[in-house]
This record gives sequence, structure tokens and C-alpha cells, in this order.
Amino acid sequence: MISGSLRALVAAMGAGEGTFWLPSQASETAAEVDASFRLVYWISVFFLALITFLLVFFIVRYRERAGYERQQAPEHNTPLEVFWSVIPTLIVIGLFWSGYRSYLSLAVAPQNTYEILVTGQKWNWQFTYPNGYVDAQLHVPRDTAIKLIMSSQDVIHSFYAPNFRVKRDVIPGRYTQVWFTPLATGEYDVFCTEYCGTSHSAMLSKIVVHEPNEFDAWLEEASDFLTRMPPAEAGQMLYRMRGCKQCHSVDGTVGTGPTLAQLFGTSVSLVGGATVTVEENYLRSSIVDPQSQVVAGFEPVMPTYRGRLKDEEISAIIEYIKTLNQ
Amino acid sequence: MAAHATGHAAHGAVGHVVPIRTLVGVLCVLLVLTVGTVGVTKVDLGPLNLLLALAIAVVKGALVLLYFMHLRWDRPFNAVVLISALVFFMIFVGLALMDAHNYQSEMIPGYGTLTP
Amino acid sequence: MSSVGSEPGARRATAGGYGLEQDNYLTSSRGILSWIFTLDHKRIGVMYLISILSAFFLGGMFALLVRLELIAPGKTIVDADTYNQFFTLHGAIMIFLFIIPGIPAALGNVVLPLMLGARDVAFPRLNLASWWMWVAGACLAVVTLLTGGVDTGWTFYTPYSTSTGTSVIPIVTGVFILGFSSIFTGLNFIVTVHKLRPKGMTWFRMPLFLWAIYGTAVLQVLATPVLGITLMLLVAERALGVGIFDPALGGDPVLFQHFFWFYSHPAVYIMILPAMGVISEVVSIDSRKHIFGYRFIALSSVAIAILSFLVWGHHMFTSMSPLANMVFSALTFSVSIPSAIKVFNWLATMYRGTLVLNTPMLYALAFIFLFTVGGLTGLFLGMLAVDVHVHDTYFVVAHFHYVMFGGTVMAFLAGLHHWWPKITGRMFEEKWGKLAFWLVFVGFNTTFFIQFVAGTQGMPRRYWDYPERFTPYHVISSIGSFIMAAGFFVSLFCLLHSLMRGRLAPANPWGGNSLEWWTPSPPPTQNFDRTPEAEDPYDFTEWKYDRQVRGYVREGV
Repeated sequence: MISGSLRALVAAMGAGEGTFWLPSQASETAAEVDASFRLVYWISVFFLALITFLLVFFIVRYRERAGYERQQAPEHNTPLEVFWSVIPTLIVIGLFWSGYRSYLSLAVAPQNTYEILVTGQKWNWQFTYPNGYVDAQLHVPRDTAIKLIMSSQDVIHSFYAPNFRVKRDVIPGRYTQVWFTPLATGEYDVFCTEYCGTSHSAMLSKIVVHEPNEFDAWLEEASDFLTRMPPAEAGQMLYRMRGCKQCHSVDGTVGTGPTLAQLFGTSVSLVGGATVTVEENYLRSSIVDPQSQVVAGFEPVMPTYRGRLKDEEISAIIEYIKTLNQ
Repeated sequence: MAAHATGHAAHGAVGHVVPIRTLVGVLCVLLVLTVGTVGVTKVDLGPLNLLLALAIAVVKGALVLLYFMHLRWDRPFNAVVLISALVFFMIFVGLALMDAHNYQSEMIPGYGTLTP
Repeated sequence: MSSVGSEPGARRATAGGYGLEQDNYLTSSRGILSWIFTLDHKRIGVMYLISILSAFFLGGMFALLVRLELIAPGKTIVDADTYNQFFTLHGAIMIFLFIIPGIPAALGNVVLPLMLGARDVAFPRLNLASWWMWVAGACLAVVTLLTGGVDTGWTFYTPYSTSTGTSVIPIVTGVFILGFSSIFTGLNFIVTVHKLRPKGMTWFRMPLFLWAIYGTAVLQVLATPVLGITLMLLVAERALGVGIFDPALGGDPVLFQHFFWFYSHPAVYIMILPAMGVISEVVSIDSRKHIFGYRFIALSSVAIAILSFLVWGHHMFTSMSPLANMVFSALTFSVSIPSAIKVFNWLATMYRGTLVLNTPMLYALAFIFLFTVGGLTGLFLGMLAVDVHVHDTYFVVAHFHYVMFGGTVMAFLAGLHHWWPKITGRMFEEKWGKLAFWLVFVGFNTTFFIQFVAGTQGMPRRYWDYPERFTPYHVISSIGSFIMAAGFFVSLFCLLHSLMRGRLAPANPWGGNSLEWWTPSPPPTQNFDRTPEAEDPYDFTEWKYDRQVRGYVREGV
């Protein structure tokens, strides 16, 4: 296991993607960020090497040993001390300036951007395109300035795309923004980087960069899924993309929410003692008003989808749940 | 213990006693300023209302510190400690509010009342 | 052998005066009640030492569990919920029960009055109360463990902490009480340094460890109340539904971050300043040379204390407004300069010295190297554009472990070994001390250096699971953690062994000139029979090494 890990590490070091320290650059602004990184990196290497050299040299040269006679040295030297106070001060001013300039590129979006709304919730990302279509992955056209307007449904999350060098917290009650221009087609990681509970490390997504002339076609086809697919299949797609999968299993496992397997048509006990038969009305109400009839043994933590799912989409989900009775 | 004596030598057995007249006088000034604070609320001066109320509060606070809390006759170091604490408090509140003010435009109005 | 003076009390610091053969603070009274109700600062220090080392081992166990889980992607030993508890408890225990009390409470309590030639601290009862509050806080931490644990991360960010089902209120109340332990200690030390200095010890003739403790004490008193209030507000929100931080109740979650970090940033300087004080003592004594640049080092401790209050926003670059980001980034660089000055001064102290490479000195030298790495990586985090990329990744985890562990813990170990003879009256065996040092040093770097790379490559922190490509980094890191753990067990063995079999310690084994070395090891309860007059604490020239005593002796003492 150890030699395999070392081999993988060495491979990553020389990989075509990125460098030893940084992943490949996928946005225009990444190069500026990396330039600031390189500046502080080499200055740090220089000072670490200097201090380490002096440490080792002094240990070897001045260690107590037979025959070592030491020479006089002063207890202070004001010009020297001022020197090594002023030089670092000038260096850090330079570092601040570099970080600040590169940050301005990240923080100030250009005038014309393609806007996509981002919703973070425990534990799933949802991206709402200008035509209202919602997907669990962020699809964007290359060479276009993209602006993400983000908010959270529950706790603080953070949207992080390492290859794009962007990160911004996603906060409930507030809209935060991030922008970038993708450089090349491909798929890139999106992580949540503000601890948000059980499945924080599973709150992943991808940025999929399309050729500019292919993006519109993708969006049109994807948005059309309700007419393209049979309802149950569309329902399954919604189940996977809209945050249901994170809490409700389809294989019988009990999670944060009840399993959807073998559910339709059965009788369930609710918190408070009542029982109800699981059919269309109950399922619809559980989606738009989930806190009203919670199944016994579960916490009232499901966020509402009122206004976030169209009626046809809810019907599709119900159709999908019916198929889970096999 | 030897070290004990050095700190108290300057003050004598009892220490400085504030004359009752002074205390009563300060109390009267404080009462007048309290009436003033209430009076200011009756007149509409726009943003000046808040500033005036705060200014009166600062004067009242200073009188309490200097006379009732004996700071006027204590070692200057005590005043340094107090003023530093106030400065740090202002840095804290000032910078935090500056940030909050700057992201106000991002806040979703009425969010707290929207969630069930 | 120099003449043993015949005046009464001359047994104090002479070559023949072994503390354990005379009446000393450890044996002057017996029974557990004489310890837990003691007013003797040295006994309180020893109780603190045992307490915080226990917390260190508990926090360390959680760390090993974290690293064990992370050695492979997916579930290794526990599920995600349990893992989240492990990293929360590791952080909370290490920070509030170990490292913040750390050097001031465990070492400072014993050494501070001795260095001042004083009988005790200014307020001995307050000192005891401090320790009892630590115990109360620790009890609440145990209650938390037994009532479902806590999974918020040690930072308790809202609204996660106001809505999670785990035991937030007990742990937060425990931290609140621990805050008072810290404030009481700080208050005590400030007054002690102001009022109990002996004749001849002006401010600029104090040992630098006292400057460091003083700066720390000011931070403890000024900053901790803000954490106290913040935690009380958190409890009010959780228990009573008062809307302050939770947006669902009309509050502002980023406000919590401002309140929290206004304390927690100065808190990290509470952790590092005493450590730097220890290093100044050990490097000077074990270079047998006067500290270089005394004034700059002393004033830099004060500068760090003041500047530490201006930079808290650098923990929040991804949630603050751009204007606040720019202000805090600029201010953050200011606090790096005084620390850099200290590193250069310590190196200059070693220049043309006579370096004694014993265990305390090895830890001190390691500190200089590791703190430099930690400090330089802090520059990366202070730069806005770079921080946006590495915030909340393993880069940050590596940075703070380098400064807190490679910095403070190394200095704590240096100080522990340096003052061990004074506290216990025993010498430890160098070979075990050095073995432990090398295991800890190699293990530490193996664990944490690779985390810098994982972070810049995008590996987020507080992740139970991770993409396959990060596996090599985690494997290396986890292996390092076990090497490090082995080192700590050897260290524990080394110190316990010394208590049972160590040779008796002379008054001044290392040849220091600060006043704690003028009294036997361990000291009598009253510390000194006659308060010595203070001299330059870094003038070692009067002390000569005596082969029979295996320690330093001085004419007329």
C-alpha cells in the first residue's frame, strides 16, 4: 500500500494536469492567483532555506565540544535589528499588494455575465438556469463570463471550485456571488468547503464546460426532460438531482428520511399518533409542506419544495416512487 | 511582606476621600442630564437625535468614572487601562459593523419571516 | 567543590542542597486535600500540569482516531456522524483544555513567582479558583461526551450550531467556565508582575519569559470576555429561540463569526506568546550566551499582544464584504513582523555561543524551524487571492498545526524538560528524552507537511470521505501521526521514569541566572528564605559547572 501510494504521489507530481502544488487552471483569473501564490512561495522558500541553513550551520559550528573556544559577540546591534525589521516590512507590503490585486480580479465581475442561481442545501447543490431548468451539475459555455448568485436553504455552505480558484460562502438569508470565465472544455470538481453536518464530504458537484455553440443545445435538451422521458424516468432524474437522494434511499436503508422503497400504498404512523396511507395526496403534501405530517421516528428537517418543483415534476416523482414497489 | 508596602505608601492609611458635596453635585448634574436625554427625544432633529443622546451618555459615563469610580484621583495607569479597553471595543464593533453594513445589499429582506 | 556557606538558610542553592533531601513543597504536607485545597502556586502548577497533560492525551486519542479513519477513502472505522464528533472533540479539547491554559497555567504558575523571587502570586486563592474552574469545564466536556457528543467543529458556526441535535449547550457552557479560568489566571499574573518584582528588577531586567506571560495575561483578560458573551448568546438562541445569529429567526450568521474570531484570534497569540518566552530562556541558557536584542524581543511581545486584536477578519475572507477583506488583509501582515524579529534574535543569540544540545535545546531548535514554516505559511493565508483558494482546505490545517504544535507544543516540551528538575527535583535520562524528541519531530513533519500540498491541490477540511486521488497524501499523514504518538509515549515514559529512578537534581542544572535557579530543586514551600537581589537574568558568567554536583554553582551562593 505504501509503495503504491508513493508511486501515485510521484505520478501526480509530474502530471500534465497542474503542478506539484496546484491543480490545472480552468479559468482566466486562475493565472493571476497562481502568480501571487508563486511570489509568496519563492519568498518563503528563500527565508526558510536561509533560517534552516543558519540553524544547522550554528549547531555544527558552535556546539559544545572538546577544543571549542568561543569568540566574543555583542548583545545587541541596533542597525542590524532595524534592518531585519524594515526589510520584512517592505516584503509583506509587497505581498499584500499582490494578493489584493489578484483578489480584485476575483471579486469584481465584468459587466455582461451569464447568470446562474446556485442553491446550497444539506447536502446537495442545485443550479437554476435562466430558463428555470434546475440541474445538480453546473454546465457552462467556454469563454463566457459566468456569474453565480448563491444562497443556502439551511446552514452555511461554501462553493469551491479548485481549478477555477474560486470560493465563496453560501449563506442562508443572503445572496453571495462568484464569477469566472472557463478556459477549456472538461469536467471539474466542486466541493462544499464549510462544514455542514453528516454528509458535508458528499456535497459534491461538477462544473461541465461545453463548447460555446453546444451549450444552448444542451440546455434546451436538458430542460425538456419532462416531455422527452416517461414520467417515472423523469421522476428518477429529479430524485437524483434535486436533493432527495441525500436523505431518502430507494433500497430500504433508513437515512435522515424514510426509504422510498416499498412505500407507496402502505400505511405509516405519523408523529402525534395518527396513521395515513401513502398515496398521491400524502406524497404531494410531504413535498410542499414537509413539516406538517412527519413520519414517526424522524426529525422535522426536510426543507420545503413549494415553488421549487413544478406540479408536473411532483407528479413525475410520485410516478417514480410507485415503481419502487417491485 | 516587603513588596506590599511599596504600592500603598503614596496613599496613606485610608486613601483619598471624596467630599460628600462633590458626590451630591455630580449626582445633580447626572439627574439634569438624564432629564436632558428624555427631553431630546421629544424634539425631532433627525440623525442629530442619536448623536446628541450618545454625547450626553458619554458625558454621564465620564462623570461616573471620574468621580464615583475615583478615576480622577487614581494613578494614570488605571485610566490607560480603561481607555484601552474602550478603544479595543470600538475597533471590534466598528470593524464588524463596517463589514455588516457593506454586505447589507446582499441580505434577503424579510428572510426570517419567510421560513415556516 | 565550592564552599558550602554556613549561615542559616545557606543550604538553599549550594552544590550540596538537593531539594528532595530537605523540606520541600512536594512533601511539606500530605493527603489529597492538602493538594486540592492548596494555596501554594507550585502545587497548583503541578495539578494543572497533570490536568492538561491528561487533556492532551484525550485530545490526542481523538486525533489518532481521525487519522485512522482518513487513512483510506470511504468508511474505514466509523461513519460520518461519529467522525464529525471526533474532529470536533479533538479541536475543542486541545484548544480549551490543553493549549490555552498550557504554558501559563502548568509552567507559568510554578516558575513566575520563583523568577520574581516572590513567595507566591498576588492572589493565591484566585489561582486555586482558576484550577477548580478548569476542572469544572473539563467535567462539562465529559458530560458532553456522555450525552451525545458534539459535531459542530470547535468553531460552533451558526446556524449549524443552533440547529444540530448534539450536546451543544453543555460543551459551550464548559468553554464559558474555562474562559473564567483563563481570565483569573491572566488577572493574577498581571498584578503579580506589576507588584511583586524584587529590588533591582525593573521592567527591562525581567526575564523574557515574564514579558511573554505578561503579554499573554493582558490578552486573556481583554479578549476572553468577548468569547464568554458570544457563547452566552449562542446558548440563548438555542435554548430560548432569541434571533441573533440564525437567519431563520431574523439573525445574521456572519455576525457570529465576527464575535467568535474577535476572541479566537487573540487566543492563538495566547497560545504562542508564552511559547516564545520559553524559547528565549532555553536558547539563551543552552547557548551559554546573553540573549541577543533583549529590548526588541520584549517590545515585540507587547506589539504582538496589541496587533493581535486587529486581524480577526482574516479567518472570514470568504464571507466578509470585499472592503472588510482588504482592510483585514493589510492589517494581518503587521502582526508577522514582531514574530520574525524574534526568530532572527534567537539565531543571533546562538551565533558564537556554546551550544549545549540537550533535550530542552533540541525542542527549542525544532521550534525555530517549525514555527518559521508555520509563520511563513501564514503569509500565504494573509494574501487575499491565495487565501480564497486555500481557505477551509488542508493548507489551513497544516498551517495551524505547524504554529500550535510545531510551535507551542514543542516549546511546552522544551519548557517542561527545562524546568522539570526544578519542579520535581529529578533529572530525566537524556537518551529517552532525545529518542522521544526525534520520534515526535519526524512524526510531526510526516503528518503535516504533506497536508500543505493536499490543501493547495484542493482537499477540503473536515471531510470524512474524499476523492481517490487524495489518498497518497492521507496515507503519508496518517503514518506520521502514529510515529508522533509513539514519541509522546516515550516522552511520558521518560518523565515518569525520572520520578522513580532519576538522579537528584541540583539547584541549577543548566546554568541559568534567573532567580528560580537560586533555590533548591524542588524549592521549599516558601520559595526563598531571603529574597535574592535581581541581576541581569542572562548573565551566566558567575556560574561554573561542578562535576561532582553535575550542575552549576556560584561563589557565595
